[in-house]
Amino acid sequence: MDALGRVAVIAGYEWRRALAKKKILALIILAIAFQTLIMVGMRQLFVGGFLTNEASPLIWITGVLEGGLFVQLIAIIVGGGSMSEEYEHGTADILLSKPIKRVEYMSGKFLGGFSLLAMVEALITFVGVTLSLGFFGAQSGLQFAPIMFLAIVYSSLIFFCLSFMFSEVFRGTTLAILLAFAILIASSVISPILTFLYGISARAIPTWAATNFPSLVMSELVTASSVLPAGDLGALAQASLIIAVYAIVFTLIATYRLLKSDVTKKTT
Amino acid sequence: MASHSVLNVSNLTKYYGDFKALDSVSLEVDKGCVFGYLGPNGAGKTTTIRIMLGLLKPNQGEVQIAGANPSKDPVHALQLVGYASELPTLQTFFTAEQLLDFMGRMFGLPMQTRRERTEQLLDLVGLKEWGKKKIGNYSKGMVQRLSVALALINDPMVLIMDEPTIGMDPEGTAHFRSLFTNLSKKGKTIFISSHLLDEVQRICTHVGMINKGKIVFTGPIEQMLEAFTQQWVVEAELEKVTEKILSSLKALEFVNDVKVDGNKLSIELKEKKDVRGEISSEIFEQKGVLLSLNLRKITLEDAYLQALKGGQ
Repeated sequence: MDALGRVAVIAGYEWRRALAKKKILALIILAIAFQTLIMVGMRQLFVGGFLTNEASPLIWITGVLEGGLFVQLIAIIVGGGSMSEEYEHGTADILLSKPIKRVEYMSGKFLGGFSLLAMVEALITFVGVTLSLGFFGAQSGLQFAPIMFLAIVYSSLIFFCLSFMFSEVFRGTTLAILLAFAILIASSVISPILTFLYGISARAIPTWAATNFPSLVMSELVTASSVLPAGDLGALAQASLIIAVYAIVFTLIATYRLLKSDVTKKTT
Repeated sequence: MASHSVLNVSNLTKYYGDFKALDSVSLEVDKGCVFGYLGPNGAGKTTTIRIMLGLLKPNQGEVQIAGANPSKDPVHALQLVGYASELPTLQTFFTAEQLLDFMGRMFGLPMQTRRERTEQLLDLVGLKEWGKKKIGNYSKGMVQRLSVALALINDPMVLIMDEPTIGMDPEGTAHFRSLFTNLSKKGKTIFISSHLLDEVQRICTHVGMINKGKIVFTGPIEQMLEAFTQQWVVEAELEKVTEKILSSLKALEFVNDVKVDGNKLSIELKEKKDVRGEISSEIFEQKGVLLSLNLRKITLEDAYLQALKGGQ
């Protein structure tokens, strides 16, 4: 079996492992319930005359973006348990005593977790579009839905990689998830303040790119829309670059830690 | 380095912080040999095994399995290895069949081979009826059995077992003892770390002993018994032990000491020589009635304790 085959075996394993965790399934259900609630609320606004007829064909964007918020949480939970749970349960010994290089093992874990996240987002996108069609009738710009989906998946890389890195560095799931979650919250809170104080330079904090990238992509695609702000290509490129830089740095730190240290024995 | 050795550990040193867990450990295990790795708790047995599997990085020295270093080239070195850990924790969301299949995939086995081996191995370890049940429902002993099956999925050349029969009932222990013997007859090299000295004495051809991170003995089991046994003991049971018998036995030139426990005597000899004839004659001469007389065979436990004493 070649290196790619070994990576694929671990990626498949990671899918099964992650799906066996009830908290991920619970979050997916919660995301869909939240999307439904938003749609019902918007329908009420529409019936009450608070939303204009021009806005209704673009409601699917809101549905998909709102669901996308949960993807950041799911990213943290999937990434945060990916490496550390194997140490905690003592199963890292079993996996890494097999004919596989550590870097292949980590790649499989990463790709398995991230592809699962992409599938969750695909489901959320599908549900968002379906709900908007059901509640508001025909939608426009649906040809952009696949790009929107890819943009949300790409934007989730920051927090997925951050919790994945913590998972390997600290080898404790609770700590990894809590730290990543704390950074998500803290960064979300201080982001508007820093943007107000320092303008563009404040965009370097992780939540700016993670939360704004999908809407920046959409505003480029649907510039005619009255709902979204006019496109900003510079900001889009900046957000894209920031996501890539964070993802690469976090992944390199996790890889360095795995390659240079011992495989710890069962910790819980 | 002998050309027929399949597992070579040379000069391994490992520190945990300031603590020296292994101190220049060297071992050589020949093909087809059943090697027992002995030592008290914390001696460094599991650390040695984990370095062999590439899980720990040594500060010095290296391991070669059939010529490949598991730290640098795990893909080749570990392809030939089966490993069952001490008190294993397996992926509880799998069934035994699924886990065996997954491990087979990790070794790159084709689907047909994985299916056949899964069936054979579940039968071999007595878990055929449990193959489709989630591992989370298994008892400790069943997990241990499955762990041995997992170690055999790739039909390994070298089997590394860390306390393989811990948690098993006596029937399971006997079953696995005969399994290991059969595997060794098929030319498999088996490396067993165990606290069960009786078990090691029954199945191992060679032993290595480690104490406080240092190897105190390595070689054939008979050699260890010979090397670490200072004296032979004759055990006698009499109808009645009198002072006269005792003093006459103590006066014999080949007797080192005599210990009394009720009507039983433990006669320690100065030399490794069978002197039961002389002892029984002496007892008869002193009008003693001898019920039984045995030259106690030296157990691995005797040698082990002696080796530990010597190593300290």
